[in-house]
Amino acid sequence: MKKRILALLLTAAMTVSMLTGCGDSKSTSASADGVQEITWMFWDDLDATEDLISKGYKETVDRFNKDYEGVYHVTPITTNLEEYYPKLNAMVAAGETPDCFIVSPGPNLDVYVEPGVAADLTSYLKADGWMDTFNGGEGAFSQQTYDGKIYAVPLNIAAACVFYNTEMFSTAGITEMPTDWDGMLSACQKLQDAGYTPITISAGTAWCLSMLAGYLCDSEGVDTAAIDAGTASWTDANVVNAANKLVEISKYFQPTAAGDTNDVATANFYNEEAAMLIQGSWAIAQINGSNPDFEDKCGVFAFPGTDGRVIAKSDSLAMSASTEHPEAVIAFMKYFTDDTAQKYTAEVGGKIPVTKVEYDASKAPAQLAYVMDVFGNAKSTFGFYNESLASTEAGAAFDDTMVSIYLGTPVEEGLESLEDFYKNNVWKK
Amino acid sequence: MDKLLKDKKAIVIFVAPAFLLFTFILFIPICQSVYYSFCEYNALTKPVFIGVENYRQLFTTDRTMKMAIKNSLFFLVFSVVTQLIAGLILAALLTNIKKGRNFFKNVYYLPCVLSSAALGLLWMFVFTPKLGINQILAEFGIEGPLWLMDTKGFIILPMWVIAFVSLWQYVGQSMMLYMAQISGISTSLYEASYIDGCTKPQAFRYITLPLIRPMMATAMSLNAIGSLKFFDLIFNMTEGGPNHMTEVLATHLYQQGFKYFKYGYASAIGVVLLIICLLVTFFINKFVKVDNYEM
Amino acid sequence: MSKSSKKKNKSSIVVKTLIYILLSILAVIYLLPLIWVIYVSLKDDKTLFVSPWSMPERLMIENYTFAWSAGKLGIATLNSAIVCVVTLLLCLVLGSMAAFAIGRMKWKLANATMTYFLTGMMIPVHCVLIPLFTRFSKMGLTNSRLGLILPYLTLSLPLTIFIMSGFFKGLPNELFESACIDGCSIYRIFTHIAFPLSKTGLFVTGLMTFVANWNELLLAMVFISDDTKKTLPVSLSKFVGPYNTNYSQMFAAIVIAIIPTIIVYCCFSNSIVDGLTQGAVKG
Repeated sequence: MKKRILALLLTAAMTVSMLTGCGDSKSTSASADGVQEITWMFWDDLDATEDLISKGYKETVDRFNKDYEGVYHVTPITTNLEEYYPKLNAMVAAGETPDCFIVSPGPNLDVYVEPGVAADLTSYLKADGWMDTFNGGEGAFSQQTYDGKIYAVPLNIAAACVFYNTEMFSTAGITEMPTDWDGMLSACQKLQDAGYTPITISAGTAWCLSMLAGYLCDSEGVDTAAIDAGTASWTDANVVNAANKLVEISKYFQPTAAGDTNDVATANFYNEEAAMLIQGSWAIAQINGSNPDFEDKCGVFAFPGTDGRVIAKSDSLAMSASTEHPEAVIAFMKYFTDDTAQKYTAEVGGKIPVTKVEYDASKAPAQLAYVMDVFGNAKSTFGFYNESLASTEAGAAFDDTMVSIYLGTPVEEGLESLEDFYKNNVWKK
Repeated sequence: MDKLLKDKKAIVIFVAPAFLLFTFILFIPICQSVYYSFCEYNALTKPVFIGVENYRQLFTTDRTMKMAIKNSLFFLVFSVVTQLIAGLILAALLTNIKKGRNFFKNVYYLPCVLSSAALGLLWMFVFTPKLGINQILAEFGIEGPLWLMDTKGFIILPMWVIAFVSLWQYVGQSMMLYMAQISGISTSLYEASYIDGCTKPQAFRYITLPLIRPMMATAMSLNAIGSLKFFDLIFNMTEGGPNHMTEVLATHLYQQGFKYFKYGYASAIGVVLLIICLLVTFFINKFVKVDNYEM
Repeated sequence: MSKSSKKKNKSSIVVKTLIYILLSILAVIYLLPLIWVIYVSLKDDKTLFVSPWSMPERLMIENYTFAWSAGKLGIATLNSAIVCVVTLLLCLVLGSMAAFAIGRMKWKLANATMTYFLTGMMIPVHCVLIPLFTRFSKMGLTNSRLGLILPYLTLSLPLTIFIMSGFFKGLPNELFESACIDGCSIYRIFTHIAFPLSKTGLFVTGLMTFVANWNELLLAMVFISDDTKKTLPVSLSKFVGPYNTNYSQMFAAIVIAIIPTIIVYCCFSNSIVDGLTQGAVKG
């Protein structure tokens, strides 16, 4: 038996030493033949994904590697969405920051800009007229600019609007899209009288409800920058009005709103069990993919009462400030904003392109045209509340407050607690 | 005999490999984690020492922490008590039947080996209002409650649901440990008692129970620690919702550390968890005194 | 048979039947959700929300084949197997050595050492993730299987030592005394007596350790970036997660994850049964 244990130990030791050999560590950034290796970190798997935008990114990566063969090479590091930031942060903490990585603007990006992890891209953008290819020039980078310097490049835009079932609307006798709050309420009432569930939403998933709440706050003139600075308060009359509106419209939600997840709520819409869905335009791919017949009946209008302001969100690319091959990274980033990629974004992905690219509207999903309309008519954009407040935690506090108000907490109480949170965590800093 | 058992060199040789490995790989990070709990640290910049500020905030202004402690303690008590009783009963039943013992043992232990994350998603699916259980109940005309969203009561319904699911998943483990220990009891003890006119339940109470005491302490400790550290199932079923009402210490830690990047604060939560675990284990071992019986 | 024992038999049959009924109902409750997972995985995702309980029109084996190939699950399973088996072997050997010393040998620091190891079990992994990753990165061990084996081993040691020390404590003293009389050294006592006799304990602990490491996600996700070295839970997370929308594919992935564990489990559990009956016969 002793011999057996000895043998076991020896085998284990051998295996371990064998595996040490197997353990090649971090990628060397320049291999023997002089190819510059860079890493790109992304929050979805490129091979197994069904998401059309992610598939587009994979094509971009392959195109880049082919076109620059022998000069540059990019290796994607993929995780799933949940573990993306933990892993990215662990790598940064260990000094292994990926050369290029995707990030959501707002407090998520703040975290990398403040300590100098993300590189300043302004000079690269201004060179070669790269910045001019973007729709809106310098304005396109409003969410990525800090102190006049740009730290990330947006790749596509999604806007939050109201998707609606055109058939249900005509049966209920609604001829004009609502353009203000009363119009919205009366449309809901007409739909309910006609026997339809007016709105489907995932009230339990905080960010979904917060989209609606954000619009309501904005329509009441709530200024998040002022609140963050401490010159306005969450208990001001305008916020109270917004919260009351939320309670008012929640009468028209589907009965299972509190328990439905986002997918279920969206499924309610494309399975024609409800008339309206308030969501970001990324839902287009999900809707059309799950129920292709629905595309013809699906219309879009801007959320009423906001005076032309639209909630928009973009995926952005940042470059590591400590990268050894900035030229390679910039070349790589340019591939995401070139015509091929941006056309794909619109025609296949159904998201709004960031450049002034010409795309074939007939290939794109029908709803995209409407969204582009909404976006084109928008006077300005603002971010999702939970992505544009003082910190991600503040954003989550906002979301939670709105959900709890929906679930029955009195408005004053809910807003008081949000105010307290800000007192303890935001304003004193 | 005693001289053998006191052989210092042997002790060192036995313990050294595990000890060195543990110290070198895990203990130093644990110390670092404790250090971070006294700092403000977001992983991207250097930690800044701020004393006990994190702890002060944890226990005074953090409402989610209070909820998390309440839920964790509920969980702890529920898990330990139900798994003790159910595990013992199942172990007793299964060691007494011959046919099908293997089958039932395998079935009950099965959920233990499955990934908690996957199971969490599965059960979340089962309890969604539109699909799953409520659909079956609807066939019978019963309107099922919002299993995972109901917010009434001191301990809300979702917590009970999660507690029962975790019981479903882990009772097999307690059962297995008890069965392993029961198997070590020599049958001659039982035979002698039957000759003396003992009934099966009496035999269980007077022979089995005392002799599996060591395993009771072990199983209860494992339950306690596991239930305090509990993360995967809750996270995938409710993510701590609705509105933080099913948060436990581990999910709160995760959120603070990985969603808000407040690693210092999260480390403080971790230290609190560690201390609670130590206290609970200490009490369990005091409570279930173990003697070495001659078998 | 005498009248009283006949009565005893009757009531014991009734009791036995009741017990079987209870156990069977329980077994159904246990198996139902799992059968449902398999059922759903064979359906088409689109019909899922409309009619979740209806029979699938055709068996969507594509859910499985897609998950396997696009998810590179074959390689992932191999990686998981390598990491978990090596961890298991090392853990059982090193762990039971330490457990023997703590459980059976006489020294003052035994309890303190046990508590020392236990702290490793009490701290949640999330807390030590960043320091651990930074250390391993400095040693150049990230993105390697060894870089996973070492933390897994260290994290599994406390549990192993805890349970095994309990088993060692339960071994009867006479065995050791008689061995002592025969002139055994303490090492021989360990390797020839204690270790073989704790087979049940080893199997139970081994199973728990193996399963815990097999299902471990966070460390594997953060430490390993190379697609060819990812373990199974990491590769599965592509399909299984709160943000994924293709539920039937997700369930197919879950089933694929479950099957190897069930296979290993069945192999081990039969040995546990042997261990159980061995103990019963002894005496």
